[in-house]
Amino acid sequence: LSKKLASTCFVRFDENRCVGCGSCLRVCPTKAIRVKNKKAIRIVEQCIGCGECIRTCREGAVSATTKGPGVLKQDQVAIALVSPVLYAQFPGVMPKDVLLGLRHMGFQHTIDMSYFLEIFQCAAEEFINRNRKSQKAPWPLISPVCPVVVRLIAFQFPSLLPHVLPVLRPVALMAREIKSHLVPDYVDAHRKVVLYYINPCPTKKEPSCLPRPKKTVPTEIALGINDIYPELLKYVEQIRAADRIPFYQTRFEYETCATGNASMWAMSGGEIADMDIDQSLAVSGIEETINYLGKIEMGLFQDIEYIEFRTCREGCLGGVLVAIDKYLAKSTVQKMIKRFGLGRRLQRENILRLYEKGQFQTEKIPAKLTRLFGASKKALSLEALQKIESIAKRIKGTDCSACGAPDCRTFAEDVVRGDAALKDCLLIGAPAGKKRRSKL
Amino acid sequence: MPKFKKSFHIKARDFIRAGEASINVQNLLKTMNLDSRLIRRIAICGYESEMNVVMHGGDGSLSIEVGADRLVLEVTDDGPGIEDIELAMQTGYSTANDDHREMGFGAGMGLPNMKKNSDQIYIESTKDQGTHVRMFFFIPDGVKTD
Repeated sequence: LSKKLASTCFVRFDENRCVGCGSCLRVCPTKAIRVKNKKAIRIVEQCIGCGECIRTCREGAVSATTKGPGVLKQDQVAIALVSPVLYAQFPGVMPKDVLLGLRHMGFQHTIDMSYFLEIFQCAAEEFINRNRKSQKAPWPLISPVCPVVVRLIAFQFPSLLPHVLPVLRPVALMAREIKSHLVPDYVDAHRKVVLYYINPCPTKKEPSCLPRPKKTVPTEIALGINDIYPELLKYVEQIRAADRIPFYQTRFEYETCATGNASMWAMSGGEIADMDIDQSLAVSGIEETINYLGKIEMGLFQDIEYIEFRTCREGCLGGVLVAIDKYLAKSTVQKMIKRFGLGRRLQRENILRLYEKGQFQTEKIPAKLTRLFGASKKALSLEALQKIESIAKRIKGTDCSACGAPDCRTFAEDVVRGDAALKDCLLIGAPAGKKRRSKL
Repeated sequence: MPKFKKSFHIKARDFIRAGEASINVQNLLKTMNLDSRLIRRIAICGYESEMNVVMHGGDGSLSIEVGADRLVLEVTDDGPGIEDIELAMQTGYSTANDDHREMGFGAGMGLPNMKKNSDQIYIESTKDQGTHVRMFFFIPDGVKTD
């Protein structure tokens, strides 16, 4: 465990703020955190980007590797890719006003996700419909939308990778559309284009963090909703204060309009609620997600066709980078649905035509993730398992975490893997008769 | 030949914690990076046998033994035993009661599923003394040893 590992793709630890309390140790679902010398140090390869450590840290020592406010520069074409969770942060405000606020902030284009959510929904329905006959994929199919869930599966439940619905995620469809229709004109005009993903969670990787950095045109940057919220709120309030909203000239309809159908996606269950699938479930929260994935692995839920998982409680509006309380946001969404209704805008036939051409399918996700996570854990040998067992027996664990590992079993595993020393354990490490005395 | 064995307790009628022993077995095997399809098969067998103990058996245990080229999943309980093993192996045959069915169990798939997902299965049962099931899984490439 070297120091340079402390900062990684999804979250970073501030060593000056960390007091070594170990709260993050215990909430990490992949046991990716160790505390060394009273500072939280992470094991990079096991991080799936769920952000639970950010949520739990009272010292504010853990933060997402998003860019932070004030990144917009004059000389660039800034394109905001907006997740519907953003609208949920502004009770009583129309989504178009939020988008207008973003343009006042300096984004030239604001891309709303509604269209792409609809396309995804349609493609997913089609795949599931056909799967009833072809049985190409096993039931239940698992939603690929929450990237943390997909990484969790690759890391902890690899046997479930064939269950992941092989349809491109809405955000990928959106980025593809922008790159093929909006960006080329600017590139031709020699303008620098930057795509800003405005996210409720720390899950978008910086390109520079990837094992092989992609040389993409345009540049891609992740922003947390909470990064831009204070400034955006200012503009939104200005817009609301104005008597009349000026008509704004845009190139695509999806730069201004959001639908009720899309705003629902911010909540748990929003993905499946309007889908044409009878046997579906929505599960949210990291513990419940792990619990249910375990059950699927044991052969349960084969009568269910599609399961939507979100590792944040209540869905994406419970993400770690949101700006307002999740229940307040949920009520905002519910009011929006009431106002907009749930109609779809796109012609199903048009989408199906593209589906036939294979525009939405992806087979790559599982293979890529297996490579990424498969190599991260070295296999334990039979002898190593025996050693771990004998150490665990000696400790007779209380899972106190004083050694810096989340629990006794993980500590024993660390010792056998050579990442920790047995003497780090308070129960068996201290030599007998040499107990520490307090000097009072 | 080195061997590793660990066993987990199963409590009768404890539907809340049912499945835990099987999950513990899965987690253990995952640290050895065994083939994920093999782990899935063991997971299914583990869960089905654990549920059998929870529903029909008395207290019992689920244990896993890892050898160099095979895994043995063993489940024992001190329950009423299976009267007619051949009948119990038939798909759809179940002695589950209405309570079990209300919870979604009792489709008569347990033992057939275990047979389907294991390479070999041996069932021994004595009336009023309990049941002992052993399931073998062969590992073509063998497990990692030092």
